[in-house]
Amino acid sequence: METILQITDLEVSYGSVVALKDITFNVKSGEIVVLVGANGAGKTTTLRAISGLVKPKKGEIIFEGKRIDHLHPHKIVRLGISHAPEGRRIFGTLTVYENLMLGAYTQKQIDKNTLEWIYNLFPRLKERSKQLAGTLSGGEQQMLAVGRALMSKPKLLLLDEPSLGLSPALTKIIFDTVKQIRNSGVTILMVEQNAKAALKFANRGYVLEVGKIVLSGTSEELLSSQKVVEAYLGRK
Amino acid sequence: MRKNLVWYILFFTIAVIYPHFVDPSWVDIGTTFALYSVVALSQDIVLGKAGMFDMGHATFFGIGAYTAAILNTVYNIPIIYTIPIAIALSALFGIIISWPIIHLRGDYLLVATIGFNIIFYQALQNNLFGLTGGPNGIFGIGAPVIFGINISSQRAIYYFAWFILLITMLIIYNIDKSKLGRAFHYLRESEIAAESFGVNKRFYKVLAFALGAGVASLAGVIFAVQYAAVSPETFNFTQSVLFFTIVIVGGPSSIPGILLGTFVMFVVPQFFREFATARYFVFGIAMILTMILRPQGIWPAKFGKLPKYLTKES
Repeated sequence: METILQITDLEVSYGSVVALKDITFNVKSGEIVVLVGANGAGKTTTLRAISGLVKPKKGEIIFEGKRIDHLHPHKIVRLGISHAPEGRRIFGTLTVYENLMLGAYTQKQIDKNTLEWIYNLFPRLKERSKQLAGTLSGGEQQMLAVGRALMSKPKLLLLDEPSLGLSPALTKIIFDTVKQIRNSGVTILMVEQNAKAALKFANRGYVLEVGKIVLSGTSEELLSSQKVVEAYLGRK
Repeated sequence: MRKNLVWYILFFTIAVIYPHFVDPSWVDIGTTFALYSVVALSQDIVLGKAGMFDMGHATFFGIGAYTAAILNTVYNIPIIYTIPIAIALSALFGIIISWPIIHLRGDYLLVATIGFNIIFYQALQNNLFGLTGGPNGIFGIGAPVIFGINISSQRAIYYFAWFILLITMLIIYNIDKSKLGRAFHYLRESEIAAESFGVNKRFYKVLAFALGAGVASLAGVIFAVQYAAVSPETFNFTQSVLFFTIVIVGGPSSIPGILLGTFVMFVVPQFFREFATARYFVFGIAMILTMILRPQGIWPAKFGKLPKYLTKES
């Protein structure tokens, strides 16, 4: 498989606080890769560095053979990386449909097929297309955040904690949909605290601990690793 | 929309007949109301639409007034030609000033803009380059001549100011309907979301300052014409506070709100002029009451409508 995203020796700091150090990992085309780790491990910062929301201090981010670590976020979106940020960040005063349209901000013309595809992935959004986004439930808002990120027709989708605050049943629905999205050709890099559930359906994973990658491997390897089980998944 | 149009026509009709029914001092107040409304609307581009706390907007108003004053009195350039120069210069200043501080948020940006206002005021006070006339300012500013008509009478200036207000309202209305206005809206609501779907944050924020500065400067030129003089006090920090509060009290991002805000914060205190400076009690009380009773402003804006061409399904 072809490497779509290669990150080498990435270092990010907020002022004098080092948030990430020597982060090296890659994502291959068509994979679901999950970054797991405790609070403050640097998962969100990693995604933000990729989408340009924070500028790395050192290191390289290469997307499809092109260095992107010095680019502004709006340029990175145009290259085909879409970021569904932590905490959903939907526009409550706009309808569901209007929120989706915003995702297509970089597109010259709105692609009906993309919209249809998103409505198929999340039938709920179609039902509620005329409703104000602020009145949706947590799970529906999450669907909307993912759907909006897909409107820019990304090659790589960055998902930040899609299961945050959702019931196990809803989490499953979201994760199943993420799988469907991957199957239609979008590579996915996601961040999850819900490590067990995420690793179960991802291809590979990286474990972060205070700004460093401490473990990596296929999902099976990580799920069976004693260290991961104890530290991040809870004892059996 | 139709209903709004009727109200606006009524509003401007009253404005047209108003000077024929009041004494000259109230005509002057009407002129200043129109100009302050223009400045408040321009402040709103930055504060209400783009959501940046700009507490130094009188700077741009002053750049307009002083540019016109200096070019007219020192270089004898007719006022009408100073208008585009003043707008361009002020917009350029808007870009230069905002560029290094645009990444600041909320109160940090607010303090930085106050700093710029203080520097500007001091520059005027200290007769920078021997051009600004120091604390006394500049006198003897001419009147604009348009199509051979000399805009020097009190009424002519009144109508000219209201014409500028009309133009400004059309500009603001168009911003609201455009991609530009929506980009401002998304940046204000959530910077991270806006950036994550591809809005160029820095570009739009600096543009908001440039636009706001340009429009405020236009009002500044007419203000200099109205009084045929300019002096530093009119463009100090207190004046910036007035424009800032007009937007907050009236209703950010709402044209009727801002007109109403200007009325409450500027015109109403004039009714109490016999009480001399005590009239500013009204000013203070209005601020406090609005924030308690209507924190969204007296006439809040309605958000969330995307233009038809974007939302029509099929």
